[in-house]
Amino acid sequence: MSKRTLPRILQTPSVLLLLVWMLVPLSMTLYFSFIRYVLNSSIRPEWTTPALSNWRGLGNYKYVLDAKDFWFAIQNSVLIVSSILIITVVLGLGIAVLINRNFPGRGIVRVLLISPFFVMPAVNAVLWINMILDPVLGLQGLAVDGLNSLIDGLRDFPILGWFFNLWPVLEPISFRATQTSAYAVIMMVAWQWTPFAVLIFMTSLQSEDESQKEAATLDGASPWSQFINLTVPHLARPIAIVVMIQSIFHLSLYAEIEIVSRGNGNKNLPYLIGEFTSNNIGAASATGIFAVILANIIAIFLLRMVGKTLMD
Amino acid sequence: MAGLTLRDVRKSYGATQVMHGVDLDIEDGEFVVFVGPSGCGKSTLLRMIAGLEEITSGSVCIGDTEVNQVAASKRGVAMVFQTYALYPHMTVYKNMAFGLKQAKTDPAEIDRRVKAAAEILQITDYLDRSPRNLSGGQRQRVAIGRAIVRDPEVFLFDEPLSNLDAALRVQTRLEIARLHERLETTMIYVTHDQVEAMTLADKIVVLRDGRVEQVGSPIELYERPRNAFVAQFIGSPKMNFFDADELTSEAAGVLGRAADANVQIGLRPEHMIPTATGAVVEGKLELVENLGEYALVHLITAKGTEFIAKTEKPPSQAKGEMIGFTIKPELAHAFDKTTGLRLVE
Repeated sequence: MSKRTLPRILQTPSVLLLLVWMLVPLSMTLYFSFIRYVLNSSIRPEWTTPALSNWRGLGNYKYVLDAKDFWFAIQNSVLIVSSILIITVVLGLGIAVLINRNFPGRGIVRVLLISPFFVMPAVNAVLWINMILDPVLGLQGLAVDGLNSLIDGLRDFPILGWFFNLWPVLEPISFRATQTSAYAVIMMVAWQWTPFAVLIFMTSLQSEDESQKEAATLDGASPWSQFINLTVPHLARPIAIVVMIQSIFHLSLYAEIEIVSRGNGNKNLPYLIGEFTSNNIGAASATGIFAVILANIIAIFLLRMVGKTLMD
Repeated sequence: MAGLTLRDVRKSYGATQVMHGVDLDIEDGEFVVFVGPSGCGKSTLLRMIAGLEEITSGSVCIGDTEVNQVAASKRGVAMVFQTYALYPHMTVYKNMAFGLKQAKTDPAEIDRRVKAAAEILQITDYLDRSPRNLSGGQRQRVAIGRAIVRDPEVFLFDEPLSNLDAALRVQTRLEIARLHERLETTMIYVTHDQVEAMTLADKIVVLRDGRVEQVGSPIELYERPRNAFVAQFIGSPKMNFFDADELTSEAAGVLGRAADANVQIGLRPEHMIPTATGAVVEGKLELVENLGEYALVHLITAKGTEFIAKTEKPPSQAKGEMIGFTIKPELAHAFDKTTGLRLVE
C-alpha cells in the first residue's frame, strides 16, 4: 500500500456520506423538475407517481417562468436580503462602536443586546406583527392613537390652536397589507440579526491597536475620520463574514413570511417553492433549481468580495 | 522649534498618584532622554507632553504657550510609537501624508514634504508598499518619516528601538543621532536602556516612581550620581556597593575617608584594579566571564555581598581563592546609607 492509500481509504466513508447527502436530494430535485409529478389529481392519476413516462422536459421550467409570482419572488428575495444586510451592518457597526468602551453596566447591556438572537424566528415574527406592528393592538396602534389624541387636545389651544388644525389625523400602517408586508419582515429580521453583527464586530474591535488611534489623534484626525480611515478598514474582514453568513440565512427566510402575511404580497423563492409543494412537486423542483442558480450567482459575488478581503 | 518647561506636573488615576510633581526645563534643540526602570512614569510623562494623557495638575509649556488644554494635534509635537502604530491599510506614502491631509494641506505641498522626508530616511523606494510588507527597521523609518513630515517643534520617541533586533538597534540609534544633528529639533526620547540614554542624550532625566531622581549630562550622571539609585542605574555592569565593615583596614587610607556604619561605598566594576597589596576590598572568586576584550569577574565578600570587577584579563587565581581590589580614590563614591544621597567630600 502506498503512503496515500490508507488515508484515502479512511476518508472514504465520510466523503461518500457527504456526497450522498448532497447528491441524492439534488438529483432527485433535478429528476422531479423534468417530469409531471403532482400529489393529487383526479383527472390524471398516473401523474401522482414519479415515473419517466411522465417526462415533461423543460415544461416545468417554462411553467414556473410564466407563473405570475416568479419574478416577483426573485425581486423580493433580493430586496429582503439586501435591505436586511444594509440595516444590520450599519446598525451593527454603530452599536458595536458605542458599547466598545467602559461604562457602568456594560456586561448587562451586552447580554441584553445579544438576546434577540436567541429568539426563535417564528416567535420573533409573532411578537413583532402582533405586539409591535399591529395597527390597533400593537405598540404602533397605541402610539398613533396617543399622538392623535395629543394633537386633538392641542387644537383647542388658544392662539396656536390653528397651527395644529393644519395637521392631518395620523393613520396607523397595516403591515399585513400587500405593499408593506415585506417591510415588516425586513424590520423583524434586521432586529433579530443586528446582535449577530454587533457580536462579530465587537470582538474584532477589541483587537484594534490603540496606538494607531493615538497616532491618528496626534495627526489631527477627528473621531469620525479615525472611524472611517482606521476602524472600518480594520473591520473589513468581519463585515465580509457577516454579509456572507447572513446572505446564506436570509435567502431561505420562510417562517416570518408565513406568519406576517401568508405570502400575500410578499413572497420569496423558498415561499414560492412551499406553495408549489402543496400539490405540484414538478414545478416546486424547477423553482428549487432556480433558487440554486440564484444562490450561486450571489455566492460568486460574495466569494469574490470575501476572498479579496481575506487575501489582503 | 521650541523648548519645553514642566512645572510641578502631577498625574493621578483616581486616588493613585503616579507622577509626584515633575519640574524640568528643556532647551530648544536639545536631545533629552527619559530613563528609568519600568513603571517609573517615563512613558506617562511623555504621553502627557504629547497630549494623550491628561495633566492632573501643574503646567506643561511648549515654547511660551501653556499646552495643558491644547489638543494633542495642535501642540506641534510628533510621536514615534514603540509599536510603530503605522496605519495598516494605507501605503507608506499615505501613512506619511495622513496628518497633512487631515490638516487640509495643499496636495502639491504634501507631495513635496513626503518626498523630502522619504529622501532623508532613504525610504523613497517603498513609498507605494503597504506596512505589512516592510521589515521592522523599515517600519521604524516610516514611523519616523511620518513624524518628520509634520515638521513638529518637538519630536517624541516612546521606546522606539525596543522591537528591533540588537544589530538593527545600534544602527537605528546612530541614525536617530544623525537625524537630530540634521534637523536640530528638540527631541524627547523614552527608554529603559541606559546605553541608548548615554549615547544619544544631551541631557538625561532619571525617573523613579514618578519622581525625577537626577537631571544632567550623561557624563555628569556617570561621574557624579546624586544618589545610590542613579549610580546603580547608569553604567553597566552595575556599580558595586559595600558597607563600611566589608572594606579592609587599609581602605580608609586609600580612599582618603574613614567610612562609618552609616556610609555605603560605591565602586564601579570597570574602575576596580586587582592588587596584591593595599586592597580596598577583598572577595572570593566565584565565576569568570571571559569576553576576550575584557573579563567580568564575579566575587563574593566574606560578609556575603556579591560584586563584579571588570578586568582586562581573567585573573590567574583559581575559583575559591581571595582577590583584593583597589581603586583610584577620585573614582570611589560614597552614599548615605539611609537616604541614599551622595556624600560630598
